[in-house]
Amino acid sequence: MSSAPIANPSSAPREPEPWAAFLSYLIPGLGQIVQGRYGKGTLFMASLLGMFMLGQGMGDWSNVYVYAESNDPNRGPKTAGALMNRWHYAGQFWIGVAAWPALVQHFEVWVPGRDTYPLINNFQRMPREADVNILFQNSDKTPDLGWVYTVIAGMLNLLVIYDAYAGPMFPAITRKPDGKTDPSPTTQTKTEGAA
Amino acid sequence: MILFAMSIYWHLPFMLLVISLVYSATRHEDWNDILVEAFRWGIRMFGFMAIVGVVLFGVTWLFLR
Repeated sequence: MSSAPIANPSSAPREPEPWAAFLSYLIPGLGQIVQGRYGKGTLFMASLLGMFMLGQGMGDWSNVYVYAESNDPNRGPKTAGALMNRWHYAGQFWIGVAAWPALVQHFEVWVPGRDTYPLINNFQRMPREADVNILFQNSDKTPDLGWVYTVIAGMLNLLVIYDAYAGPMFPAITRKPDGKTDPSPTTQTKTEGAA
Repeated sequence: MILFAMSIYWHLPFMLLVISLVYSATRHEDWNDILVEAFRWGIRMFGFMAIVGVVLFGVTWLFLR
């Protein structure tokens, strides 16, 4: 019997691919799709973006924002202490473009007009304390679970980014005709590189 | 939102499914391996939450009745 390994159909990266990692940061799973791993890319995209959007919906679309300590320029940069006072965005940030409107609103890069863009005027802008109080007083624990969803989605995307960068932790195993297994070319390349 | 408002525990199966699937897919490339690993992690997480739930129920039953 031949002991030659069968060609592995896996298109996992054979060496680190920073561009794929960056694409997976922008949109979860996009890096995998560019690498030809359509199934995993679609799974990551649907799961993580779905989880992030569901979390926002559960929180009445007011739980993804950068905390603004003060708008007073005499009190230093507006971002000082923002993540210390509300660390949620440090986790939400890693979902990628979907969390960028919070930065746009925080730094006032572009403020959508209330009359021109009524739907996105307050999107990912820090809500007023009175509105948050009303939301929590008139609901169960759902808004609390909502921000947890958004943070978990962002954290999981860190794993997705690394998967796009260096491939999975356990590469696909190639089956040989004699029933034995052989590691994929990814592992072979890493082993040869280490030697 | 009416369904979700009934109980926050409706979210748990969804959360278990997504977390176990995504985590497993970042560890394996083959779909069979991904699904087997996801099932294992789903069972582990469900078991962990069940234990926490039983402990909290016991504490409530013993001390807060």
